[in-house]
Amino acid sequence: MPLASPLRALLPALLVVAALSPVASAQRALTDIPVPDPAAELAAMEVAEGYEVNLFAADPAICKPLQINFDPRGRLWVSSSSVYPQLRPGEIPDDTVTVLDDTDGDGVADVSQVFASGLHMPTAVLPGDGGCYVANATEMLHLADTDGDGRADTRRTVLSGFGTEDTHHLIHTFRWGVDSRLYFNQSIYIHSHVETPFGVHRLNGGGMWRFRPSTLDLAVFARGWVNPWGHAIDPWGRSLVTDGAGGEGINLGFPGAAYFTAIGTPRILHGMNPGSPKLCGLEILSGAHLPADAHGVLVTHDFRANRVCRYRLTESGSGFESEKLPDLIRSSRVDFRPIDVKMGPDGAIYIADWYNPIIQHGEVDFRDDRRDRMHGRIWRVAAQGRALVPRFDATTLSNGELIDLLMADGWARDAARRVLVERGLAEVGPDLDACSSAARRAAPGTAGYHPALERRCLELLWLRQGLDDGSSAAIDGTLLARVLGSPDPHARAAAARVVVDWADRLGRAGAGPAGSPGPIDLLAPTVDDDAPAVRLEGVRALAAVGARVGASPADSNRAAALALHVVDHPRDDALDYAVWLAARELQGAWLPAVLAGSFDDGGKLARVLFAIRAAEATAASGWMIDRWRSGAVTGTELDMLIDAIALLGDAGHQQSVFGFVSDPATPAVRAATVLGQQVEAHRKRRVVPEGDLKGLTRLVASREPALAAAAIDAAGLWQVAEAADGLGEIAADPGRDLAVRQGAIRALGNLPGSAAHESLARVAGAAATPEPVLAAALSALVGRSLIDASALTAAWLATGPGDGAIHEVMRAFLGARGAADRLAQALSTTTLAPATARTALQDVTAAGRPEPGLTAVLEGAAAAAGGRTMTAEERAWILARVALGANAGRGRELYRRENLRCVACHRIDREGGRVGPNLTAIGSAAQPDYLLDSLLDPAKNVKEGYGSLVVVTADGQVTSGIPVSRSDTELVLRDSLDKEVRLQLADIEEQAPGTSLMPAGLVDGLPAEDLADLVRYLSALGR
Amino acid sequence: MPSPARPRPGGLPPLAAQLFLAVAMVPWSGSGAAEPAGQPRFELQTGDRVVLLGDAIIEREGERGAIETGLVTTHPGAHLTFRNLGWSGDTVWAESRGVFDAPSAGYARLIDLVRGLEPTVVIVAYGRNESFASAAGLAAFRAQLGRLCRDLRGPTREAGDGAPPTRLVLVTPPPFEATPPLSAVAATARNAALSDYAAAIRAVAIDEGAGVVDLFGGVTDSLPAGERLTENGVHLSAAGYDAAAAVFAVACGRPLSGDFAVRTATLRAAVNTKNRLFFHRWRPANETYLFLFRRHEQGNNAVEIPQFDPLVEAAEATVQKLAQESL
Repeated sequence: MPLASPLRALLPALLVVAALSPVASAQRALTDIPVPDPAAELAAMEVAEGYEVNLFAADPAICKPLQINFDPRGRLWVSSSSVYPQLRPGEIPDDTVTVLDDTDGDGVADVSQVFASGLHMPTAVLPGDGGCYVANATEMLHLADTDGDGRADTRRTVLSGFGTEDTHHLIHTFRWGVDSRLYFNQSIYIHSHVETPFGVHRLNGGGMWRFRPSTLDLAVFARGWVNPWGHAIDPWGRSLVTDGAGGEGINLGFPGAAYFTAIGTPRILHGMNPGSPKLCGLEILSGAHLPADAHGVLVTHDFRANRVCRYRLTESGSGFESEKLPDLIRSSRVDFRPIDVKMGPDGAIYIADWYNPIIQHGEVDFRDDRRDRMHGRIWRVAAQGRALVPRFDATTLSNGELIDLLMADGWARDAARRVLVERGLAEVGPDLDACSSAARRAAPGTAGYHPALERRCLELLWLRQGLDDGSSAAIDGTLLARVLGSPDPHARAAAARVVVDWADRLGRAGAGPAGSPGPIDLLAPTVDDDAPAVRLEGVRALAAVGARVGASPADSNRAAALALHVVDHPRDDALDYAVWLAARELQGAWLPAVLAGSFDDGGKLARVLFAIRAAEATAASGWMIDRWRSGAVTGTELDMLIDAIALLGDAGHQQSVFGFVSDPATPAVRAATVLGQQVEAHRKRRVVPEGDLKGLTRLVASREPALAAAAIDAAGLWQVAEAADGLGEIAADPGRDLAVRQGAIRALGNLPGSAAHESLARVAGAAATPEPVLAAALSALVGRSLIDASALTAAWLATGPGDGAIHEVMRAFLGARGAADRLAQALSTTTLAPATARTALQDVTAAGRPEPGLTAVLEGAAAAAGGRTMTAEERAWILARVALGANAGRGRELYRRENLRCVACHRIDREGGRVGPNLTAIGSAAQPDYLLDSLLDPAKNVKEGYGSLVVVTADGQVTSGIPVSRSDTELVLRDSLDKEVRLQLADIEEQAPGTSLMPAGLVDGLPAEDLADLVRYLSALGR
Repeated sequence: MPSPARPRPGGLPPLAAQLFLAVAMVPWSGSGAAEPAGQPRFELQTGDRVVLLGDAIIEREGERGAIETGLVTTHPGAHLTFRNLGWSGDTVWAESRGVFDAPSAGYARLIDLVRGLEPTVVIVAYGRNESFASAAGLAAFRAQLGRLCRDLRGPTREAGDGAPPTRLVLVTPPPFEATPPLSAVAATARNAALSDYAAAIRAVAIDEGAGVVDLFGGVTDSLPAGERLTENGVHLSAAGYDAAAAVFAVACGRPLSGDFAVRTATLRAAVNTKNRLFFHRWRPANETYLFLFRRHEQGNNAVEIPQFDPLVEAAEATVQKLAQESL
């Protein structure tokens, strides 16, 4: 079917109708809806020098493209959804997969065939196996065309059980890996429970799956991210991932790793471009059509800002460094929404433009009329003045031709691999065997050898992996060994992953040099490889082989022992993470062996200590104590050993450690480090050393600042009453650093007994005490004596202290049950400056619960100067000014002013707190009058979901905050300081809904002009 | 291997409550003749409201409609209605139903959901996913299945309130099939474990006074020669579902006629349409925005979800009409 040209003439009329129809939602901010004319959209693109853009395809041939992928014949498969974001009651889901072809090679699609319809939000499509794999809400389908008419006639559920909690999180980003597995991703809100004949696979949250359709081998490849909407694989098989909400740019993904947002792990990896925009789609540029300087460049999309971005990677350590390059395309049009990008069979770059002025469906109503449901474009970006790559149909080539094409770039290599894999082992095997043995024979140093042979051998290995039918004959251990021994570290690293796939069929596992090499034998050299990237893949492979079902205890133990070799070598963050993860995954193997004295650490205690710390193996602390007492451990290993006992030991072990710390012979700096670990152990596990802790009093007085600081912390946490006098002296000593004095006061606050109390009262009552110290002392007193604390605080407030100090003390009162009323009583006979009262009132509001007594006293004092009252005229004037002349730039400066405290609680893009609603797109959702009213009276309209919860715990602490999460045992609140507070459900005595946490009166001091600028700035956000 | 579920702020969604309301609008009719409770046999009565509960076997039945159509056609004029609550990967602990909460919260929601539907019969098909835990998991499975039965049945009704107790039917899982990609060796090992779980299900049925449909023991025998039971070793093929429908029909003493699949194609399509609509009603997409912790953004659109009720009702009416016509 030839493409019809868009119905341009009709569109303006349609838009007028749309604009006149009643808009159900209150969000009218985006009123300037562009005319969906591809020519106008193209004209608005600013394209990087040397490139040109043309329209490859557009509506009505396609609508709302979600993913594009080329097939081995060079045709482009497009999945489209007009159902997104939500099926209407009564609507029959009828989304499509369309196949586009450019048969005459002019860069414009001339054939468009609807391959399948009746789909429900097909967020991904990938051609293969006689049809295509399609994401269809809860399922992955395979649609096939068995009669060759170009339309699917069979529909099979391949996998099911994927979550639909958020329809832009549905499984997406399908692609074939170099191993010919189908890789696909899900986003953060999705909870998937997928059955295969081998068990149930669950993934709660974001992550990447990988799946071999022929064997139904399904696994989670990596976990985390918010919206991992881009996944490219470099020529050496390394996965690069972008996140449509994460803001860390390009991520390097490897097996088993966890990334931003992953739960249930204490450690995650990060992307290479922190602070980058949110990105969608990812492709690596290659091929003769593009200029050499473009090769290897990554292309992805900042769809929010309507631009196509470029990054360049440079190898570094075990991975890469990533540098942002100038954009490939920028558009001034809000409707240009590039979301996917693929290299085409002609060597040009193809970009799917979802085309929509409205993105997302959280902020903007599902049914908003401005949401476009019918348009979509595929743009083609070519290098100016350069010849295209001749296009071919890979399905018509011979096995030999296709095997040679595995050395090509981009589409051609992927197409060749796909066709070969689909032909199957029986048809391709003999040719592959011949090529493999020829390649193997050409060793480095022999005639006819070329370094490119290393890539060729790896490609042959990957092809072998793709053709795997599970039989013993399917694998090629000789070729695998050849690639593992390659002079090229890229090949060695990639081959380590293949060992995992074949582990059960390689030799007799762990048979050693006498038998044919087993998987662990093959991987053994990788962990001491010169190249950090090989060590990384090696340690991940050993963890997988050692932890796999059916591995013998001896094999697991050996895999663990080898994995820990990596500890001997320098480690960047990713490599350190990889071995940390291996130590945790193989804990069941090495820990019993260590305890039994049978673990082979190669004489390097550091390996075992690394593993113990990684796994937080408290069960090993007795073993460590024994090693210490044996006297056989010396030097830096002894230091590491004592540090690990300090972190993981029980109360008895901590006593031994404290003996070391308090021994005058121990150097002060060393004692500070170890004591710091003991403090950490208390924070994590509430463990206090047994025995006499009086020795701490000497350490509190140490001249070594680090030791004194650690001792002060320890004295408070361990409640060493004997330290009270020493702490009191420090607290009162004007010659001491303020932070040290504050630390001493915090410690005193924890100590039992009257000495601590008297010290605090003395500091709080002394006229010369500096304000920060005084504030700390008053706060500490709140928990000990409300009478003293209230009287002293009332007198202090009357002196007009600074805002920061007021906030600290007020929060202490508001955090203790009954304390606010006590303070109100004390204040009833005190005269406060209005400014002081207003500052204190902000904290009362921020507590999110009624404190009528304290509020009344403070309001009385504040009103003495008159709060802000706004007349209707003034309000109208401000709103008129917002509409006509206010300065958003000045508003932005005001927003960032510290005393307005906006940034502390609200987030715009990546900056700011999260206790208040995110304001990134507030302008598209809220009217200026609403914004003004919310600034003046925060309690008037509390955004749903931002109502606070007030919780009283058994210890009398009162915590107010926005609920973040709740499990069976724990409630997490975000308090008004934007900090997460974790509360054990068992400790909670009362809880009740509170009000807005936003302090009232924040903008009372602003002139009307400033208020107008601020509202103008906020109302422009997200538009 | 359950993964840790993320806790969800905001507590229970109002979905269950809304769904309960919806049920009142669905023309369930008749309350059925009283049967002695506690008798372990499977019998459907006029006007029975049947809930199907289980893992992907039940979930995919919602698209196939074989078992449901078989039971409708073998009970002419009985006006049976079915609501499918299957969920892939699910277990007797509701491990697939936690969503943002722990499975225990999903379990509580499930019980509320079933009770809200006021079924007279609940067909419970679990055990296959649990069987991967082999012998080590058997005792826990058996105990939890018993608990599930008691929770589904709910508190003992006051004598004389007129409502008969909910009858339970426990279904044993179909066997694993030695077909690619599942090897014969693997299938044999799986079936050895599954056999123990099937026995546990039969034992719980006796303890709990529930009826039994024994797919594990019977479904292969109902399969026509030359047909595969499954698509992939575990999930029933079209022929496998028809065989399962035959086992269900026999279990309640009403065998299917030989031309069942052909004769009921139209009815089956109507059943599937009804099930799809009900799926969007009880498991709508975008739950996060409609009912959960981002409802402040799109909770206003939650009003659309009950709008599926009249559509389900109309589709149900079509099913009943076609069922009458097929008499």
